[in-house]
Amino acid sequence: MNKNYLVLAILMILLAVGLLLVPERQNYQQIEPEKLMWDITQTSRFVTVDQVAQMIIEGDPTLELIDIRPVADFETFSLTNAINIPLDSLMKPDYQDYLGIEDMNVVFYGNSDINADQAWVIAKRMGYNSIYVMQGGLNCWIRKIIQPVEPDESASQEEFDLYQFRKGACAFFTGTKVEAPDAGKTGIKVVKRKKGTAVAGGC
Amino acid sequence: MGPLIPQEIITGQWDFVIALLIGGAFGFILESSGFSSSRNIAGVFYGYNFVVLRVFFTAMIVAMVGLLYFSYFGWIDLDLVFVLPTYLNSMLFGGFLMGLGFVIGGFCPGTSYTAVAIGKIDGIVFATGFLIGVFIFAEGFPFYEGFYTANDLGSITIGEMFGVSNELVAFLFVMMAIVAFYVTWLIEKRVRKNMTEYKFE
Repeated sequence: MNKNYLVLAILMILLAVGLLLVPERQNYQQIEPEKLMWDITQTSRFVTVDQVAQMIIEGDPTLELIDIRPVADFETFSLTNAINIPLDSLMKPDYQDYLGIEDMNVVFYGNSDINADQAWVIAKRMGYNSIYVMQGGLNCWIRKIIQPVEPDESASQEEFDLYQFRKGACAFFTGTKVEAPDAGKTGIKVVKRKKGTAVAGGC
Repeated sequence: MGPLIPQEIITGQWDFVIALLIGGAFGFILESSGFSSSRNIAGVFYGYNFVVLRVFFTAMIVAMVGLLYFSYFGWIDLDLVFVLPTYLNSMLFGGFLMGLGFVIGGFCPGTSYTAVAIGKIDGIVFATGFLIGVFIFAEGFPFYEGFYTANDLGSITIGEMFGVSNELVAFLFVMMAIVAFYVTWLIEKRVRKNMTEYKFE
């Protein structure tokens, strides 16, 4: 037999044995640091409390709200149809099924932005897409949806519309009686200059 | 980093360029292994020449072990590599039919083209018949679609099927290949001793 064949056969066997000996590698699919950096610096991951309220009211089937606060907080108060995944359990295998659902938009929220944003970064690192953060968290939700503040008389029509929407949303979520819109105030067209954009976020 | 196209390191438009390069290399290896001769190929059925078995087994174990090492070093993500779905019925039948074509015609589809490339008439006849067969198969596909897709096991690997690691499967295949090389070498030696018509060496 040719000596070269013998050498090659032994080499092949050694390589194959080597495969059995090397420790198993976790093939964790990770997002590139540059891409993560780009995603983090974009503000497109934020949705406003008004957008979330509207989606809940309209019964948007693609909305998946995830409450990342501890269980006790979740049981005290949570948004309609939210799922509770405490931040420290986000990577548990039991919860992975909630994150990668096709066509679903996952919205994280906490008491403020910070924990939800952390959850967002972790989920992004795990390779999930279509994930968002509710800007301002529940604090912003209470301030804007549950206790909306009436705008100044000199405010733009858009701000009044938003206020009306928030009052309606408040009634939807708290069950309080809806007052008829105060035509006297919203009717006054004393708008001097129109502000370019609708008030969104800012918390 | 790999596979390059699914990871979007290069665009899918490179598909054909890469296919051309790999095809050229594949044809070159086939021809230099002596696969353009139908005697070499049919020899595996008569026991005087096992070059087909050796070349394909070698290619298989080198690719297997190589890919697993690549995966270990993080150069390729095996989860993104395309795995051909297994249709059990059509693969069993197709394997039998291909073997039959192999021993009767003396070529397999790829090697018939290497034979065409060096101007062999039997290769040209085989390749023409092969194209006619492809045409008939494609035109009549609706008739046997049910059989074709029956027993669909999906994109399954041997390791997944038997619940063992890919590394173990690769190791077993390497062992199997080495044993096969040795046994076929013994058979070849014995058969060739009694042969007078053909001399290969």
